[in-house]
Amino acid sequence: MAAYLVRRVIFGLLTLVVITCFVYGLARNMPGTPLTVQLGETDPSRKFNPEDLERMKRIYGLDKPWPVGYVQWLSSVARGDLGRSISRKQPVATLIAERIGPTFLISGTALLLAWLAAIPLGLYASARSGRADERVSSLVLYVLYSFPTFVAALFLQIIFAVWLRGTGWELPLFGMSDLPPGAPWLARAADVARHMILPVTCQTYVSLAYDSRFIKANMEEAVRQDYVRTARAKGAGPWRVLFGHAFRNTLIPLVTLLGLSLPGLIGGSVIIEQIFTWPGMGRLFFESIRERDYPTIMGLTLMFSLLTLAGQLLADLLYCAVDPRVSVE
Amino acid sequence: MNSAPATRSAGFWAEAWGRFRRKKLAMAALAFIGGLVALALFAPAIAGTKPVLCRYKGQLYAPCLGYFDRRLEPAIFAKDRFRGTYPTNLAAKDPESWAIWPLVFQDPYRSVRADEWPGLPANPAKDEGRPSPRNLFGTDQAGVDVFAKMVHGTTIALLVGFVSMGIAGTIGIVVGAVGGYFGGWVDMVTSRITEIVMCIPTLVLILAVIAVIEKPTIWHTMAIIGATGWTGIARLTRGEFLRLKGSEFVMAARASGAGPVRIMLRHILPNALAPVLVPITFGIASAVLLESSLSFLGFGPPPPTASWGSILNDARSNLAMWWLVAFPGIAIFLTVLAYNLIGEALQEATDPRLREARK
Repeated sequence: MAAYLVRRVIFGLLTLVVITCFVYGLARNMPGTPLTVQLGETDPSRKFNPEDLERMKRIYGLDKPWPVGYVQWLSSVARGDLGRSISRKQPVATLIAERIGPTFLISGTALLLAWLAAIPLGLYASARSGRADERVSSLVLYVLYSFPTFVAALFLQIIFAVWLRGTGWELPLFGMSDLPPGAPWLARAADVARHMILPVTCQTYVSLAYDSRFIKANMEEAVRQDYVRTARAKGAGPWRVLFGHAFRNTLIPLVTLLGLSLPGLIGGSVIIEQIFTWPGMGRLFFESIRERDYPTIMGLTLMFSLLTLAGQLLADLLYCAVDPRVSVE
Repeated sequence: MNSAPATRSAGFWAEAWGRFRRKKLAMAALAFIGGLVALALFAPAIAGTKPVLCRYKGQLYAPCLGYFDRRLEPAIFAKDRFRGTYPTNLAAKDPESWAIWPLVFQDPYRSVRADEWPGLPANPAKDEGRPSPRNLFGTDQAGVDVFAKMVHGTTIALLVGFVSMGIAGTIGIVVGAVGGYFGGWVDMVTSRITEIVMCIPTLVLILAVIAVIEKPTIWHTMAIIGATGWTGIARLTRGEFLRLKGSEFVMAARASGAGPVRIMLRHILPNALAPVLVPITFGIASAVLLESSLSFLGFGPPPPTASWGSILNDARSNLAMWWLVAFPGIAIFLTVLAYNLIGEALQEATDPRLREARK
């Protein structure tokens, strides 16, 4: 077990180095630097003169070729320092810490809602398999699964923010809160909740459709097993067979799926956050690419890849934990 | 003892096609994709401002080909200063000329001006271009007809799926086949590479790569989607090759002196193809989705190229123009749905385990 973990961690670190090196190389080769991109946006009178630009480049380590810059970045990361954002003049760690909460608010709520609804839906579908009501619900879920999130988001925005404007059903178009920071916390919480409805809906429906189909597929596999036939033969009722015998055995792939959804939980969705201008991680990444903010791009890439790796490891470990037949070796 | 059947039994693919054909939804999806292919091929004849066929100064021309590639537009019209306006110029410069026009006189790249077609008013611009008999799907802020944009954007929607999955399929099958067939350290290396690529957050990589390219075109987007989307295919191919390389027909091929490349291509691959086709079909669906979301985020091909996702991007600045969301949104949705339906039916038609499940 320990040897397995050590091997996985070493390979994981190697993977991280390969990915970050690649992304660093890409980032440094993007046209423009954080300094020139900023210049284009501010007015020409505040233009740096060439000496200042050279000085700034030296400060941020941009005067050296990118492999040298990468090694410098890697060594400071090894010392636990993610560097400072160039365009935001803040430590990258602080930026990420600020954004992780809002992202988790959306993705955590969406994940919870999706699972709460997906398990009963999946079980219902497998219990009523082949009947008319099951076919309709499965078809609806299938259609939802193919419906692009960004299209759904735009439709919802048009309905709730444009057509229903001025009515009690109007929902905010974007942002996280309209109230000033000094407002009473209850009013602010209600306001944030109102802002959350549309993005959470968009993020929930896709995973709901996917998860319930996944559960149903696993259940169909399980009810064909011999032990289910045995349970039926010994006289267990249909619900007891479904819950006590079949469903318990489908928990194994479910646990794996849960582990694999970890990266999305904290990484957020670039598209949803971008549409609803939600101040989360995905949006931060999008902005940092536009601003050529190398330290932030790298900090986020590191975090996203770390989460993906951790999710895979977690899924494998959980798999061994719930299924004694599987061994990590 | 020798009971050779009188008729040759149907092959695997014929049998799979027979099962596939029984699924009405999947057949409808296949017909839908076929319709899209037709739409893409005949786009210049369906919506455009250039004649499909015309006779000008005693010669026959097909200026509509200019929509596929600018170089295909006959040079004589540039020389005679048509400036893209055919109806009035044709009549003025050669009274003898005649032309067959596209079904809808609207251009995917520009707004139609007043009296460009005698008696036809200019396209409405800003947010006034609601769908009307003249502009079936409305017009965007610049007054460009959305129907024409969508018809011409079909090519991209189809190409993205086929080209990117063509790339991903090739990489995935080669990597998986080599790893699975040779095993040992080769398998070690290919499997580790696959795992590393799997860990790269796709959207992060794609956004970074597109930002590097000075002038990203749709071909870049396709190449990147293909270069990142092969891992699932590689894993499946590897599994199939591992399973099949020990089988008797491979041994027989080896005994008769076939080389590894021949065994892999001629003997194992045809037997491993069915399960590999399924993730490729689903991959097409996600490639279409990915391209349209990239265009939607503003990371797609530069403006004159019409892509369904970029029409959606225009809608973000003015949500009251619902027609900019509804038509391309539904088109993207139906295309993704069609590929998913085909993929699923393919899976059920070729996987014997799933067939048993259906009883």
